[in-house]
Parts: sequence; C-alpha cells; structure tokens
Amino acid sequence: MKDLIFLTYSEIKTKLNDGSLKSADLVSAYIKRIEGTDSKVKAFLEFNKERILKQAEESDNRRKSGKLLSEFDGIPIGIKDNICITGEITSCSSKILENFRSPYDASVIQRLKDKGFVLFPRLNMDEFAMGSSTENSAYQTTRNPFDTSRIPGGSSGGSAAAVAASMLPVSLGSDTGGSIRQPAALCGIWGLKPTYGRVSRYGLIAYASSLDQIGPFSNDLQGISDLMEIISGLDHKDQTTAKVNPFEASSVSSVDWKGKRIGVMKSEEFNFSPDVNKRYTEILKTLESKGATLVPLDFSLLKYAIPVYYLIATAECSSNLSRFDGIRYGLRKEGAGKLEDLYSESRTAGFGPEVKRRILLGTFSLSSGYYDAYYGKAQKARVLIRKQYAEFFKTVDIIFQPTSPTTAFKVGEKTKDPIQMYQADILTTSVNLAGVPAISCPAGLDSNGLPIGLQITSSHFDETKLLSYAKSASELEICKLVLPTEIT
Amino acid sequence: MDEKELKNIAHLAKLNIDDTEVSSMLNDFSRIVQYVDEIKNLDTTSVGNDEIYEQIFYELRKDFAENSLKRDDLAKIAPSYENGYVVVPKVIET
Repeated sequence: MKDLIFLTYSEIKTKLNDGSLKSADLVSAYIKRIEGTDSKVKAFLEFNKERILKQAEESDNRRKSGKLLSEFDGIPIGIKDNICITGEITSCSSKILENFRSPYDASVIQRLKDKGFVLFPRLNMDEFAMGSSTENSAYQTTRNPFDTSRIPGGSSGGSAAAVAASMLPVSLGSDTGGSIRQPAALCGIWGLKPTYGRVSRYGLIAYASSLDQIGPFSNDLQGISDLMEIISGLDHKDQTTAKVNPFEASSVSSVDWKGKRIGVMKSEEFNFSPDVNKRYTEILKTLESKGATLVPLDFSLLKYAIPVYYLIATAECSSNLSRFDGIRYGLRKEGAGKLEDLYSESRTAGFGPEVKRRILLGTFSLSSGYYDAYYGKAQKARVLIRKQYAEFFKTVDIIFQPTSPTTAFKVGEKTKDPIQMYQADILTTSVNLAGVPAISCPAGLDSNGLPIGLQITSSHFDETKLLSYAKSASELEICKLVLPTEIT
Repeated sequence: MDEKELKNIAHLAKLNIDDTEVSSMLNDFSRIVQYVDEIKNLDTTSVGNDEIYEQIFYELRKDFAENSLKRDDLAKIAPSYENGYVVVPKVIET
C-alpha cells in the first residue's frame, strides 16, 4: 500500500468512507511526517499532537457508531495562523499577537468543524499576511520543500509548504494580492482565490478588508472543489458575503476545448523567466491543438496593479491594524508614561519591519494633502482594472497566464529590496483588485526542478467554470502534481 | 519625503522610528513612493466617485439580538481580569 502521507485528498476521502483507513492512523502518519520533516521546512509555528490526535479518534468513534458528521469526517486540514480557532493562539505570525488565544471560531472554521475535519493549526505566514516569501514571519522562515534554500512564496507559505511536503493533504490560506496562488505556484500544488464575497471573512484577522479572501490549497483538484463548497456561502456575520447561487463541487465538469476562446498575455511584456516562458508557450500550443482559440488581451493596465494594490492595501492595513495598540490585544509595553507612549511603544515593539513599512505608506496615502493624489487616485484606477476584466470576459471564456513570472527564489535574495519583492505578485494582484476568482495549478518543473504555476481566471462567481477548465487542463496533463518525496 | 515628514507620518501611525533607522527607512520609503507615483500617469478622469464602491450583492443584516461571546470565555483569555471586568492599564492624561 502507498505510504499514507502520499495519498491524495481524493484517495483519503475514498478510503475513510469505504472503511479501509482510520483517521487516527492517517493523522498519526502525518504527525510522524511533520516530526521528521518540519525542522527543515518550518511550516508549523506550533503543533499540539495530542489535541489533533484526539479529534481524529473522535471522528473514528463517530464512524464506528454510525454518527458521521459528513463524508469529510476525519480528513486533516491545516489552518493559516490568521484564521481564528476557539482556544488556539492566532498570532498572524506577529509578536504583537504572540499570546492571543481566540475566544471564537472563524465562520470557515465552524463550517469545517460541522463537517468533522481534523484541524491542524497554526501554519506559518508573513506577518499579518504582508509578504511574498514567508520571510516576514516574526518567528521563522518557511522553506520550499522542493529546495529548502529557497522560499515557498507568501504570505501563506506555511499552508502551501505543508501540503507540498506531504505533511497534510489540504489547508486553508488567505489571499490579498496573491498570497494563495503565488505560494501554490512556487510549491507545485493547487491553490484557489475565490471571488471576493464568496467566502466569509468573519474570524480572518484583517489585512486589507476589500481584498482579503480565504481559500483552499490541495494536493488534488477535488480537494479545492470540496473545500469551496464547504467554506463558501452567505454569512450574516460578514456583510460582504454575497447572496448568489452556492458553489457545488458536483457542478465541475470537463470542457470541450473546441471553439473556446482563451485569453492570453504577451510574455515579452512581463519579463517571464525563460523556463516559465517556455512552459507557458507549450501550454498554449497544447490548447490550440485541441481546438481552442487564443485571444491576446491588452494587459497594459497590469503595470499599475502593484502600485494600486499597495496604495489600497496599505491604506486599509493602517486602519485595520490601528486596533493593535497595547490596550486590547496581545503585547503591551509596560512602563510607558502617557497613553500615546503606550500605543507607540507597544506597536513599535510588536510589529516587524514590513508591517511598519506598510502602515507608514498607508498612513501617508490617507493623510491630508496626499489623499486625493494617492488613495483617491488608486481607488479610481481600481475601477478601471475592474472594468478591464469585465471587458475581457465579454470576448473570452477564460484567461490562462503564468501565476508567477519566475520560480522560487533563494531565501534572502529579495529581502533588501521591497520593490523587487512586491513585483513577485505582478500577475496576481490585479485579480484581487477586480475581485474575480483565480486558481494556480501545478504546471511542470523548470530546469532546476522547481515548480511552475499556471493561473486560470474566470469572471465573478464563476468558480464552476474556473474549476472545470482546471480539471480539463489536468486531463490534458498540462497540470499535474509532482511532489518531492525526500526533503533535503 | 524628508526626515521631518517621515517622523510626522510615524507619529500619526503611532510608531517610533529610532534615529539609527531613519536613513534606511527614508530610503525605502522614498523608493516606494516613487514607485507608486507611477499611477499619476494613468488617466482616471473617466471614473466617477460613485463608481468607486461596488455595491452589487450586499444584503443588510436583520436587526435582531443573538448570543455573543460568554463573559467567562473572555475572562479566560484576557491578560488581566477582575470582578467581571477586563483590567487595562491606568491612563490619566493631564
């Protein structure tokens, strides 16, 4: 029998339900894998194996007594450290929330618990989800399982690396400017950023509220579909969740490529690495050979996406993070005299350099004298980007792009240069600004054996179409999972 | 952006900037501002203020009371808790 840790999500689901696998055995195998591997990958911030094993045993008991919560009962899932779970520390990988234990469950967590999932908290991330490499965590740098001298991508690097290192089959992350798709691409797995409003953000510690969205990582596409069905839907605790038709995993079906219009981009405009460019060209040729029509799109607005993203996201973060003041949560700098000193000393000690940089930029763009030129202008530019996507989907069925212009870079390679680091998200940020859904699929390896990601984007609330195209791309072997068995 | 302006922004953001950090932070900050300045080249005159906030699907919440967090649960996680109250530092502004 295949080693349990190398089972796909679908194989796990089948085996749990046909009785050939016990959740406790599976979870024990993952615990052993984590204990043997995570010292190299550093995906987990904390790991309480007794609590996790207990959940698995409870699931097995429910199965034995015929009181299963769902067909997902007993499936292990990892949780990013910015999604609240009752009784667990949720630190956002920040010193300022080092000891914050959540008194409530995020809505997505409640939905997972209702189905019987076994929760593995706390996966490492860039502090407050600010970063593209998971080097900004206050605690540790997560490593890419394909090459531990390289970054896994960010900010959900722990969630992606845990799946890629076969320490879990599925996990949850959050995506503000590419924080699910970019690490999914660099770690060679599937990762989906749902339509804004599809998934409740209640209990997700906010970075930039108009952009953040929780989404799944998986070692197969079925895991993405199933998790989307479970976590999405209207939630009265989050007024920005949409009243639209629910997503149903069973609605995902193969696409006949003939006559389909695929939106593509001109690679020379965006500095793809030669390997990424070569693979993208191969993929497009395959689609054409199956009868699809390639439609080059005008992505000229894309060059504004990162500046617009940074202005809007930092403005929102400067406001959202003002609640961390030393009074209400986490770290409090004792001995400060005046109230203002207590605020500033606690915040200065608690936030890391990237968070401070973004709060400063946000405060700057919202301040009197700069508001219209920066924040106001960025909001208008965002409307143009949103309109551009609407125009795209009048002429094409779907968009195929690389997820990241390069494969995983070395740890430390871009930390000294914030602009270079920000540009790692050039192909993903506009999707968040427009609010549309997009998935990153594993699409082969480069000449160094590092994963290349393929980003597929569809129109608002059309996750069914998005996943149907991803499924069909997998059937053509454009997308295929190849994970490292040994982590060195 | 100069040192005075940076320190004023930091004051508004309730962050302290150490004198040893000023020069590198000023350098990073100036580069980032220069980078985001690119949006000034984009013509946005066609966009009206009313288009900024997309309100296509939001539904107002019904006005009804429901159970919130239990006081005992909050007491367990509060840094300091006495007689049914969360204790915060004594702050008197003069």
